[in-house]
Amino acid sequence: MKLKRHVSTWLLSAVALMLVAFMLLPVLYMVIMSFKSGAEITQNPLGLPASLDFGNYINALSKMNYLRSVFNSIGITLSVTVLVSFIGALAAYPLARRTNPLARALVLLMALGLSTPNFVTITPIYVIFRDIGLLDTYLGLILAFTALNLPLAVFFYTSFIRSIPLELEEAARLDNCSDFRIFWHVIRPLLGPATATLSLFVMLMVWNDFTYPLLLLTDESKFTVMISVYRFVGNHNLSPSDLFPAAVLGSLPLLILFIFFQRRIVSGVTAGAVK
Amino acid sequence: MRTLRRYRIFLFTLPAILVIGAFFVYPILLSLRLSFTDFTGVGIPNDVGWKNYERIFTRSRYLDAFTTTILFTVIVVVVQTALGLFFAALLHRLPAVRNLCRAALFTPAMMSFVIVGYVWQFIYSPFNGGLNSALAALGLESLQHNWIGDPNTALIAVAFAHIWMFTGYTTAIFLAGYAAIPSDLEEASKLEGARSWQRFRHIEVPLLAPSFTINIMLSTIGTLKTFELPFIMTRGGPDGATRTLSLHIIDSLFGKYKFGFASALSIIMLLLVVLVAYVQNRYLRSREDIT
Repeated sequence: MKLKRHVSTWLLSAVALMLVAFMLLPVLYMVIMSFKSGAEITQNPLGLPASLDFGNYINALSKMNYLRSVFNSIGITLSVTVLVSFIGALAAYPLARRTNPLARALVLLMALGLSTPNFVTITPIYVIFRDIGLLDTYLGLILAFTALNLPLAVFFYTSFIRSIPLELEEAARLDNCSDFRIFWHVIRPLLGPATATLSLFVMLMVWNDFTYPLLLLTDESKFTVMISVYRFVGNHNLSPSDLFPAAVLGSLPLLILFIFFQRRIVSGVTAGAVK
Repeated sequence: MRTLRRYRIFLFTLPAILVIGAFFVYPILLSLRLSFTDFTGVGIPNDVGWKNYERIFTRSRYLDAFTTTILFTVIVVVVQTALGLFFAALLHRLPAVRNLCRAALFTPAMMSFVIVGYVWQFIYSPFNGGLNSALAALGLESLQHNWIGDPNTALIAVAFAHIWMFTGYTTAIFLAGYAAIPSDLEEASKLEGARSWQRFRHIEVPLLAPSFTINIMLSTIGTLKTFELPFIMTRGGPDGATRTLSLHIIDSLFGKYKFGFASALSIIMLLLVVLVAYVQNRYLRSREDIT
């Protein structure tokens, strides 16, 4: 009986691994194809490349302005993370510690932000940005991304701060510290884990988002990675020897990050969704 | 004076309120205002009354986009939830490979829509594309097809790329739901000799109700506004088969500079999302209470 159960568990595990491997085939396909020349794809559309030729990559790197766009994406991510975590944690503190009609109204306001599709706001944001000169600037994109991530950050910090025992604040309150000093010296130093998870979130969103930079940026030197990929590959007559190396270059940084932080990313993203 | 002191702490929310006001509240109101005008992006907008809305509800192309969006959402939500539940139920029973598989399934969600769109566009390509080549290698040439070039299969093909991307996400949320099931309950049912399928049907599925709520709501809201995959893979074609509402918004905005009309479309979209989210939330939450 026990042996039978063991065998069936092994079999089931093998089936599960095979199914999961099947799901990953497109990723493997992307990597394999990125090393093939156009002629090789015609002759051998599925198999491994004949040689590990980096020619496609050298071509893509030189035409994509890759390093510049990676730096842009990183810079924008860092700025958005700083803004979102500061504004978000600050707003979350009273929401976590007070339950009155004002707090409830503010929670509703954040829920409105969380559930509004960005297509509803994109036309007016474009018009406003154009009128006040924020179109095609880093600042405009940073502000737009900050707003997009803020509601989630507020909810995230609110539930995190609720788990911090009130006793920690009591001592400071007896010393007549102001609310802000309590927030800054007692609460803020404890927010590290929440900020770490949040910044992974922000990074994922800023790195992969396509709509905002597509509509708000026109100057090539300010492009984020995904817009560089899009402009390089184009929309018509896809050339696989351009497409696949660009796809690998575009996803590689996050995939490497994912290998190192997979547990934190998966549980963080799931927790963020559950809250 | 004391009430003032009690509320002073809410000054901390001021920056957040400003951001939400400037990027959500004001734009929604401006959208509503512009939706009754013929604004083209420059000059002074003229009031046109309900004309933009009339246009949306009388032209078949917008009603078609509406149907396409709903159909796409239904396909994605149903298949993705079923597939995610399947993987979660399987991995829940296999602790040895659970974390590895969960991370592997999650990998596509790390990639951008842009890249997923391009890679799948080539997988579906009739010229040496991955899917047709694989069919040929298996001796199934008769099944070869121009997957995203045929209006009958294009929407399903794009939907599958979307499902592929987010199945791991759904699985991870279901697995978190599984972790919350009290283990003594499961032990008890095992001792009573309940088979795997019976446990799944009568214990796990009802207790996973909150995970169903989250998964279904997240994927519905995410797909109703879908834009990137059809934009990259098909540009709404062939023959409008994959033209969703958001694609129309972007088209009216930057293809034709019809800002007023795009605003009307986006207000309709907001109403759609709010309505669907409200109905779903009520129904799914009431399901949670029964169990």
